[in-house]
Amino acid sequence: MGSFRLLEILAGFRAIISFLIIIVTWQSIASLGLVPEKYFPSILAIAAGFRDMMMSGELVSAELRTISRALIGVASASMLGIGLAVLGDLFPSFRRGFAPIAALVQPIPPAALVPMAVFMLGLGPKLYAFIVILVTVWPPYFNGVAALASVSDVQIRTGQMLGLSRWQILRQIKLPAAMPEIFAGIRYASSISLIAVVVAEMLAGHDGLGFLLIRKAFAIRIPEVYALMFVCAVNGLIMNTIVNGLRWKFAGWQSRMTGQAA
Amino acid sequence: MSILRSRQGYSALVLPVVLLLAWQVLAWRASTPLFPGPWQVAVSIWRLYPQIVGQIGYTLMRAAAGFFVAAIVMVPLGILLGRLKAVGSVLEPILDMLATLPPPAVVPIVMLFAGTGDAAKIAVIAYAAGIPLIMNTYEASKTLHPMATLVARSLRLRRLETMVFIDLPASLPMIATGVRLAVASALLVSVTAEMLLATNGIGVFLQRQQENFQIANGLAAIAFISMVGLIVNDLVQRLERRLLFWHYRSTETQNDR
Amino acid sequence: MDVVLEARQLAKAYGVGTDALQVLGGISFAVSRGEFVSIVGPSGCGKTTLLFALAGLQKASTGTVTFNGRSVTAPPRGVAVVFQDYSRSLFPWKSNRDNVAFGMVRVEGLSSAQKRDKAQEMLEAVGLQGFEDKYPWQLSGGMQQRVAIARGLASQSELLLLDEPLAAVDAQTRADMQDLLLDLAVRFQQTCLLVTHDVEEAVYMADRVVVLTRRPTVVDHEVPINLGKRRDQITTREDPRFLAARHDVMMSIRSSRTAAPATAA
Repeated sequence: MGSFRLLEILAGFRAIISFLIIIVTWQSIASLGLVPEKYFPSILAIAAGFRDMMMSGELVSAELRTISRALIGVASASMLGIGLAVLGDLFPSFRRGFAPIAALVQPIPPAALVPMAVFMLGLGPKLYAFIVILVTVWPPYFNGVAALASVSDVQIRTGQMLGLSRWQILRQIKLPAAMPEIFAGIRYASSISLIAVVVAEMLAGHDGLGFLLIRKAFAIRIPEVYALMFVCAVNGLIMNTIVNGLRWKFAGWQSRMTGQAA
Repeated sequence: MSILRSRQGYSALVLPVVLLLAWQVLAWRASTPLFPGPWQVAVSIWRLYPQIVGQIGYTLMRAAAGFFVAAIVMVPLGILLGRLKAVGSVLEPILDMLATLPPPAVVPIVMLFAGTGDAAKIAVIAYAAGIPLIMNTYEASKTLHPMATLVARSLRLRRLETMVFIDLPASLPMIATGVRLAVASALLVSVTAEMLLATNGIGVFLQRQQENFQIANGLAAIAFISMVGLIVNDLVQRLERRLLFWHYRSTETQNDR
Repeated sequence: MDVVLEARQLAKAYGVGTDALQVLGGISFAVSRGEFVSIVGPSGCGKTTLLFALAGLQKASTGTVTFNGRSVTAPPRGVAVVFQDYSRSLFPWKSNRDNVAFGMVRVEGLSSAQKRDKAQEMLEAVGLQGFEDKYPWQLSGGMQQRVAIARGLASQSELLLLDEPLAAVDAQTRADMQDLLLDLAVRFQQTCLLVTHDVEEAVYMADRVVVLTRRPTVVDHEVPINLGKRRDQITTREDPRFLAARHDVMMSIRSSRTAAPATAA
C-alpha cells in the first residue's frame, strides 16, 4: 500500500517534470535565438498574449463556442452511433444495407464538407452539428456493432435460460458487455470532433477558436497563435476527462475488473 | 450457399438505393442548383473526372509523402522510447498533450516556418500522421511481454538487435492500428491543408466550386474523395492482413482452443 | 568430475529495508559435466528466481554463479534456457525453422545456409520433420515446446536450463517429452538442470535431485538417484529405489510446507 501511494505521487511528478522540460526547452530555444524570436516567442510573451485575449473577452467566447460545439456534436453522434449499432444488431439486414453507406461516408474529410454544407445549412449551429455528427458517428457505431456481435454465447445463453426476452438480453447483457469498446470509440470520436470543429471554424470564418487562430495568424500575432494552440490542446484534455468520467460510470466494470487483476 | 449470398448482396443494396431515391425526390422538389440531386452529381462526375483525378493526384502524393516522413521518424522513435522506460515516461505526457492538439491548429505555425508550399503541407500531414504512429508504437513496445526480452537476452542479442528483430515485429500488430489511423488522418489533413494553404489539389478544387456556386461539382469531388479514401483504406487493410498473417492466424487458433 | 555450473551462497532479496522479501537465502550446489540435475522445492520457494540467476538473466543480491569456471554476469555462450511459457518464448512471425535458426543468431562462423541446415537437423532430432515451414501457432503445446528445445540445442549449448518446460503440456505428452529430453541430453552431450514442482518428474529424469527449503530458500539436502542412464516410464517408476527417492523428497517438501505460514495465491 505504501509503495502504491509512492508510485501515485511519482506519476503526478512525472507530468510536472515533463511540463517543466517543455517550458525549459522552449525558453532556452527562444532565448538562445536559434529561431527568430518573431516566430518563436518566449513563454512570457505567450502568457501575455493569452492574458490580452482573456481581457478582451474574445478568447472566452471563442472557447465556449468551440467546446460546446464539440461536446454537443459528440454526445449526439454517440447516441446516434449506439442507436444504429443496436439497430444493426437487431436487424442484420439493416447492418448490411448500412455498410456501403458507412464505408463511403466515413472517409470524407470534415474540411471537404464545410464549403458545401455552408450553402445548405448556413453558419449557425446546424452546420457544426451536421459536420461533427457526420465525422464522429463512425467510431462508436463500428465499435458497437463489433462488440455487440462478439458478446460471448455463454452469457447470452445464460440470459435465455433465465427467461429474458431478446430486448432484455440486449439491454442487460449485450450492451453492458459492449460498453467498454463503445467507449473506446467515443474517446476517439471526441478527439476527431475537436479537429472537425476547429477545421470548420477555420474555413467557415465566422467565430470560434479556429477562426480566431486564422485571424491572429494573418495579423501575425504569433504569441497569441501559440496561446491558442495551447488552448486547443487543453480542450483535448477536457474532452478526454469528460469521456473518461462517463466511461467509469457506464463501463467501469471493466476497469475495476482489470484493476483488481493487476 | 451462393443463392443465400446473392440474396444478402441484393438486400444490402436496398437501403442505399432508397436513400438515393429519397435524395433525388427532395432535390426535384427543391429544384434549385444549390441543392442538386444524385443525378446532377453523376453528370458532374462524368464531365469533370479528368480534372478531379488530376487534382486528387496532388492530394494523394502529398498525403503519401507526409505519411512516409512520419513513419520513418516515428516508428523507430516509438520503439526506442518504449525501451528507454525513464525517457519514455517523462515524454509520455508531452505526447498525450500533442495528441490532443488538432492538426489543423498547427497550420498557422507551420506557415511561419515553411510558407505555404508543398513543404508546409507535407509537414502538417506528417505531424498529423506521426501522432497515432508514435503513440501506438510506443504503447506496443512498452507493453511487450517480458518473455520476449528474456528470450532475447538468453540468446545474447545486443540491444539494437533486440529492437530490430524482436521489439519491432512483436509491435507490428499495434503499429498497424497506428498505420490505419495515420493513413486516414494523412488523407484528411492533406485535403484540409490544401483548403487552408491554397495552391492545387482536390481541396482547392472544392473551394473553387463553392465560390462559383457549383454545388453539384463540389459533391462530385466529395464523392471522389470518399471513393479514394475507401480504396486506400482497403489497400492498407489488405496489406496488413498479408504481412501480419501470423498475428491474425495465431490469435484465431488461440481462440479456437 | 569436472564442474560445469556452480552456485556459491546465492542470495536474492526483493525490495529494501523492512519491506524486503528474502527469496533466496544462500544456495550452494554444483553440476558436473553430463549430469542431469533436478531442482525441486515447495511452492513459492523462488525456483524461477534461482534459474534466472543461474542463466545470467537476473543478478543475485550476493553470491556467485560460475559456468565453466567463469563468473556469470550476463547470459553466457553455451547456456540455453527452455522456458515454461512456450507460446510466448517462440516468435509467431517466424516459421519453426526460422525460430530454431534464430537460436544461432549470436553464433559466428556459420553461413545462413549452414544455420538453416542445422535448424533442420535439430527439428528432426526433436521429431518435427515435416513441420519446418509451419508456424509455432499451428502446433500443439507439446510440439511448440519441442521447437523451443530444438532452438536451445541449435544455439550450440552445453548446458540446458529447463524452467518447468513440461508444466503446461498434457500428461501423456509430458511422458513422451521426458523421454525425449533424456534421449537428447545423451545424444547431444548436454548437461541439464531441470527446475520443476513435480517430484515424480524430478526423480524420473535426474541423476541427482537438489531439494530446496521454503523461503528464504537454501538447499535442504541432495538425493542421489542411482537408477542408471536408461529410464522407462513403467519399470523405472516401479523400481523400489525410485519409490524410496520419491518418498525422501516428498517427505522433506511436506515438512517444509507444514512449517510454512499460508501464503496468498
